[in-house]
Amino acid sequence: MIYFKKKEKQKMSFYKHSFKLLKNVTSRACYWNRLETRQIHRWVAPTLKVLKHRRDSLGPEPQKPRSSFIEWNYEAELFAFGKRLGDEFDKKLLHQALTSREYANLKEFQAQEKGIELTDNVHNDELIQEGEEIILKTIKEEYKKDYPEDLVNAVCNYLTSEDMLGSLGKGIGLKDIVLTNEFPVETKTLSNAFKAIVATVQRSSNSASAQKFVQDFVLAQMNGKDVYEIWNPAEPYKYLTELLNEKGITSIEPRLCNESAKNTILACFQVGLYSDKKLLGIGWGENVDIAKETAALDAIQRIHKNQPKTQ
Amino acid sequence: MSNSHLFLKPGFINVPLQNGVGRYVSQLQRVVLKFCKNNGSSRGMREFIESGLVNFAKENPGVVVYLKPRRHRSAVIKAEYLNGDEQWMSCRNSTQEEISKWLNLLVCQSKNHTGTRIRKLWHTDHPSIQGPWTPFTFRDPKLNLATFPNEELAKPKDSDVSNHERLIELFKKQKLGDLENRRGE
Repeated sequence: MIYFKKKEKQKMSFYKHSFKLLKNVTSRACYWNRLETRQIHRWVAPTLKVLKHRRDSLGPEPQKPRSSFIEWNYEAELFAFGKRLGDEFDKKLLHQALTSREYANLKEFQAQEKGIELTDNVHNDELIQEGEEIILKTIKEEYKKDYPEDLVNAVCNYLTSEDMLGSLGKGIGLKDIVLTNEFPVETKTLSNAFKAIVATVQRSSNSASAQKFVQDFVLAQMNGKDVYEIWNPAEPYKYLTELLNEKGITSIEPRLCNESAKNTILACFQVGLYSDKKLLGIGWGENVDIAKETAALDAIQRIHKNQPKTQ
Repeated sequence: MSNSHLFLKPGFINVPLQNGVGRYVSQLQRVVLKFCKNNGSSRGMREFIESGLVNFAKENPGVVVYLKPRRHRSAVIKAEYLNGDEQWMSCRNSTQEEISKWLNLLVCQSKNHTGTRIRKLWHTDHPSIQGPWTPFTFRDPKLNLATFPNEELAKPKDSDVSNHERLIELFKKQKLGDLENRRGE
């Protein structure tokens, strides 16, 4: 009985291996059916098994940059990049925008070692600065219409963060064509390259198309997002009192409007903020303090909404 | 969902980086057409390269097309997307039309969708616009003016007629019915 079990186990392990190879074998089987071969030969499975074992023992293949492949044409990639985004790009400027300073320095050093003098050491430092300014300016112009300065700054920080611009750069296909020394490419490099691309758009055509570019790629990321979820004041109540003081309202009265399930895990309190018997904002939370802060956030939103828009 | 879909990776419909909100960027980055110059299984691919490839490249200038001839190996399309996905597609014995149709699909889709099961045909990041529910969300506004203690509100909401009272009621109705019947006679 025991002997039988052992054998069963061996069988099982055999199947486990063969499942992995099944795909290979079946594809071959299809091939042989066409040639009217009768069976899969006895040597196929063990050979494939050994090959698989060798492959596995070597470990995973190291990642290689796409530019090291045989099928790689940098000129064609740059051309396609420009066409993909639908903007006019100056070829030389685009090349410069994608060249990081470290890469350019290394190239220059290598050339010097060989005894060749490189005429120009071009890199994208200048373009990065310029692009960042364009991005910030466009976002600020867009959000100043509807929101006060604090919120505009919060949105600016969110949209120009390294992760956001890096993911944008990756999303438009900079990862493979950016010229850097490091691999895999860092997020910072990608975000810098994206900024440089914005500057390139401006230099290649005009500032209107650069603004359009920022609107289409950076500002579009705000689609479906609430500004008040991005802006996160540390102490909303304090912020509200300062905001109201500027307007000349000094007396804010928080009142407990409702409470439910007190002293339980599902406790819920509703606090309203009043001034002169007028409701400024209402909010709820698991304790009174949190409810007060939520109410303050609500009040701030209401004040912003009622503010006359500056154009 | 049938059994054959059990091991597919489930996913939702999504768009990378709000593509199309501003401008639309085709998500196919580059495509490598691998083929053999004299093997019969690559015949369709060779025909496509001779007659259809230039048009394809003109229509899609944002896609880099590489040709990779390899001796005695079957035809293959390898597509690379902007999100880093790669899609390998065997075109062994495919005709020219088949290849151009597959390429059209690759241009239109945003990533490698093979092996994913779409859980729903729609998706939203904001399933609720009302926000979280609280005990005060749908409260009756009548309660705002109520003064407590209030006998009306203190009563249980369902009617508290006991079975005993219900029986008496039925008995009375029956009696009335009997009286009316007698009058009818």
